[in-house]
Amino acid sequence: MKKTIVAISTPLGKGAISIVRLSGENAIEIAQKFFMPIGKQKIEHRKMVLGWFDLGEAKEKCMMVYFKSPNSFTGEDVVEFQIHGGTTLTRLIQAKLIEGGARLAENGEFSKRAFENGKISLAEAESIVDEINSESEAELKASLKVASGELFKEIKSIQQDLTTLLAQIEVTMDYPEEDENEVVREDVFNKMTEIKKRLNDILSLSKQKALIKKGINVAIIGKTNVGKSSLLNAIIGENKAIVTDIEGTTRDVVDASIDYNGVRFNFYDTAGIRESQDEVEKIGIEKSKKTAQTADITLLVLDGSENIKEEDERTKKLIKQPYIIVVNKTDKKRVLEKQQNEIEVSAKNKTNIEKLKKEIFEKTIKEEINFNGLATTNERQIEALNEAFNQVEEFFKEKDESLEILSLLIKKVWQSLGKITGETENEDIISLIFSKFCVGK
Amino acid sequence: MKETFEAIVIGAGHAGCEAALALARKKHKTLLLTISLDALAFLACNPSIGGTAKGQLVSEIDALGGQMGFTADKTAIQIRMLNRGRGPAVQSLRAQEDKNEYHVEMKKVVENTPNLFLKQGEVESVKLENGKKIIKTAVGDEFESDVVVFATGVYLDSRIIIGKYTESVGPNGFKNAKNLSKSLKKLGYELYRFKTGTPARVNARSVNFDELEIQKGEENIQTFSFMTNKRIKNKACCYLTYTNEKTHEIIRNNLDKAPAISGEIVGVGPRYCPSIETKIVRFADKDRHQLFLEPESLSTAEVYIQGFSTSMPTDIQEKMVHSVKGLENAEIMRDSYAIEYDCINPQQLKLSLESKLHDGLFFAGQINGTSGYEEAAAQGLIAGINAALKLENKEPLILSRCDAYIGVLIDDIVTKGTNEPYRMMTSRAEYRLSLRQDNADLRLTQIGRNVGLVDDKRYRKFLKKKMALEKVYKNLDEKIKISDKLKKFFENNKENPPKNSISIKDMIKRSNLDLIKISKEFGLFSEMEEDILNEINLIVKFEGYLKQQQEDIEKAKKAEQIKIPEDFVYEKQKGLKIETIQKLSQIKPENLGQASRVSGVSPADIAVLSVLIKKHQGEKNERKN
Repeated sequence: MKKTIVAISTPLGKGAISIVRLSGENAIEIAQKFFMPIGKQKIEHRKMVLGWFDLGEAKEKCMMVYFKSPNSFTGEDVVEFQIHGGTTLTRLIQAKLIEGGARLAENGEFSKRAFENGKISLAEAESIVDEINSESEAELKASLKVASGELFKEIKSIQQDLTTLLAQIEVTMDYPEEDENEVVREDVFNKMTEIKKRLNDILSLSKQKALIKKGINVAIIGKTNVGKSSLLNAIIGENKAIVTDIEGTTRDVVDASIDYNGVRFNFYDTAGIRESQDEVEKIGIEKSKKTAQTADITLLVLDGSENIKEEDERTKKLIKQPYIIVVNKTDKKRVLEKQQNEIEVSAKNKTNIEKLKKEIFEKTIKEEINFNGLATTNERQIEALNEAFNQVEEFFKEKDESLEILSLLIKKVWQSLGKITGETENEDIISLIFSKFCVGK
Repeated sequence: MKETFEAIVIGAGHAGCEAALALARKKHKTLLLTISLDALAFLACNPSIGGTAKGQLVSEIDALGGQMGFTADKTAIQIRMLNRGRGPAVQSLRAQEDKNEYHVEMKKVVENTPNLFLKQGEVESVKLENGKKIIKTAVGDEFESDVVVFATGVYLDSRIIIGKYTESVGPNGFKNAKNLSKSLKKLGYELYRFKTGTPARVNARSVNFDELEIQKGEENIQTFSFMTNKRIKNKACCYLTYTNEKTHEIIRNNLDKAPAISGEIVGVGPRYCPSIETKIVRFADKDRHQLFLEPESLSTAEVYIQGFSTSMPTDIQEKMVHSVKGLENAEIMRDSYAIEYDCINPQQLKLSLESKLHDGLFFAGQINGTSGYEEAAAQGLIAGINAALKLENKEPLILSRCDAYIGVLIDDIVTKGTNEPYRMMTSRAEYRLSLRQDNADLRLTQIGRNVGLVDDKRYRKFLKKKMALEKVYKNLDEKIKISDKLKKFFENNKENPPKNSISIKDMIKRSNLDLIKISKEFGLFSEMEEDILNEINLIVKFEGYLKQQQEDIEKAKKAEQIKIPEDFVYEKQKGLKIETIQKLSQIKPENLGQASRVSGVSPADIAVLSVLIKKHQGEKNERKN
């Protein structure tokens, strides 16, 4: 059976709704790992269902439609998720579905499957060919950008090192009688440790850069009347940033964005948190909690002119690392006891706002970030790097295995990197065996 | 009067014998022509069969109903398993063969096979007349057949080279085929010039073995053939020695006399089988090279010096040999020589080994640019089977890369071609974990049965083995209760004992335990042969990897199943790059999997191609309706 594939099928960043589509035998099974309908709704063919998509740390409300095979676009079982939300959220959902067992679709693969299952007429075949070619070209251009760069060279060089390592292992196995060529296991592990580090360097910087590219989400949280909104105004006002209202969902309103040191920070103001019997307010508080939990960093705002309240303590428990405790209203007399890692500001007088921004930057962007380092923000490439890195970890888990198994695992690392360099077959191993080693009768 | 046969096989080396036997056993009247009856199944280079990857080939030939494995077992004088401890798939049998006996035994088999006619004669030309093939020999005899298998080995316009001396002969002084190359060229075959070599043979009485490291065989180990019931007895030993600085100096001082280096030899030699002078030039920093002394036969004192092939003049050869420890007084009986010969471009063949240019012409062995007895025999068997299937109007047998090393070998040469004599290596097989020597019978016996080469006796034995395996496998989930005995067993094997009961399967998965130990300790499966238990043990230990590989195999198989129709014209297709069109129309891959391995074809090209094939077929069906 063909593996279930997934892709975002709407242009990213355009339109209010994004669609993530699954197609294949296990589409429903994968979808149900994450999606839970609200109430007693049943998942049925062609019926739109509202429910929660479990993102792990948070849940996201979205619509799901199921198309049963053969009555779907591809002719296979198809599941579509309609998401109100920005690029990040859509990508997150796609990533979850991949985690659940789907594979990122290749260029034009949905159409190709539709064609193969007789859903697209012969006359339209050429348009699919065009689709595959144009998407591949776009990708080629993207990778060419990388190709000319240092990153491409580095990945190629890692591949070459792996090839050399493989040649050393393979020659031991293909010429077992020539014991002078025998590979030393310690050498293999040392080389792989080095490769692991090189991959990790690229990968962690890439992830950072991807984070920077999408913007860093900052949630402002605190009980009512501690001055959250005026703090936000102080932050943007001073920087003369344009207050944006990027239309996402009602929940996902980015209240303001600023550029700081070349990085985009998106601020989310939240409803004040307090114990409430009011239904409407309850919903608002739930939202605030979620915003805090999905943000990259949270600012917990406290009122410096009064003692800590029970609500403050409860709010504190809601948030996760990293966070900053902002003690507002330094224009008034300080009553609040000293907090750990606090920053004193006055939103009213705009004091210490610059210091706060610097703190947000340093807490989210690792100090050692090297903007000129080797990294990629291309989704497919990050996926390939991730895969390669996981394979290396797998290798170290199995390090007591025979040479043959080690070779198999190293080949997998090579193949994952091949998705970036475009090399699918390693024909160099055998050439290297003969050029580096003196073997044969 | 032309004598008529259904099939003619040209050449009775390792490829030719397998091809002719397959044809005759499938009841086709077959003529096997050889340039010399004394050269039949001759081990022209080292007196050994098997080795890494090659051992796998021999067991595969055997499982399909070929001859090499059985005869090699019968005439082996020493046997060993290579790569023990390096993983299950890279383990291969290697046997020292009695070179004389091997020839005699194989000749007996050929002579006694019904429908097979063995005749000495040098083929001079092949002509095609209305689908019939006319074979003419040097003495003027003519034979006619429907299919022909070319298995000419290194005999096509060959010449040997020793220093300045060259002679137009075949290996070991046998006659060569002087004119057949021309006939092939006329038919449109692209000819290459390849080269190989063989070292000197010395008299055992003149070798000081006492000073050398001995290499003995292993007792009581597996055999190549599923049908060999006895274990092989070791009757001879090999010895290990090394070249030294003095040897290297002699060679360096005489490089101008080495034809391969001075430019006298034009043929392309294999990188894996370099002459000693090539090794010394290319690996100048190595201060010694390993040499193995292998006995040629129990009926002769000749000893083969593996690793010492050279085309130096004989006086230099003698000095070189005498510089080696143990060989100081060696009497050289046969000189080392290089040999050049013609072969065809294997890209002109289909996966069935039938020519793309002419129906009914098949090619196998060294004529296809490969080297090695085992590689030759494997191709011979497939060419023979497919020539027979052709006569029977049946679809050819094509083994894929996922089925067998034989599949890897044929796909490699046919799809990619080769610019040096091709040698099988385990690193060429991407699914090698699944293509083991120990499971060759399980992989291929049924296929051999389907094509009609596996007889009832072998098939019954195979079914019995399969049933035994299934029986053991079914019982692996059985749990053994925790007891002092069990605890002790675990502790003695340096494993942590389980808290409760444990299944046999989970016990096997512990790295210090195996099914043999377990069955001995708990008296399980006592009626089963050790080979069965070993097989199960391996399957369980490598279950995870095998399963993963199986997924890759399924994927590859799917691509193999998408056939590219013969009337699919690349030039007419929109959406393929010109470069891709050129490559694909030259190779004419038979399926999508093969197309993906044509060099320079990208995954996007394959995606496009798959749509275009489907479109092509759809349109064809529409026209039919």
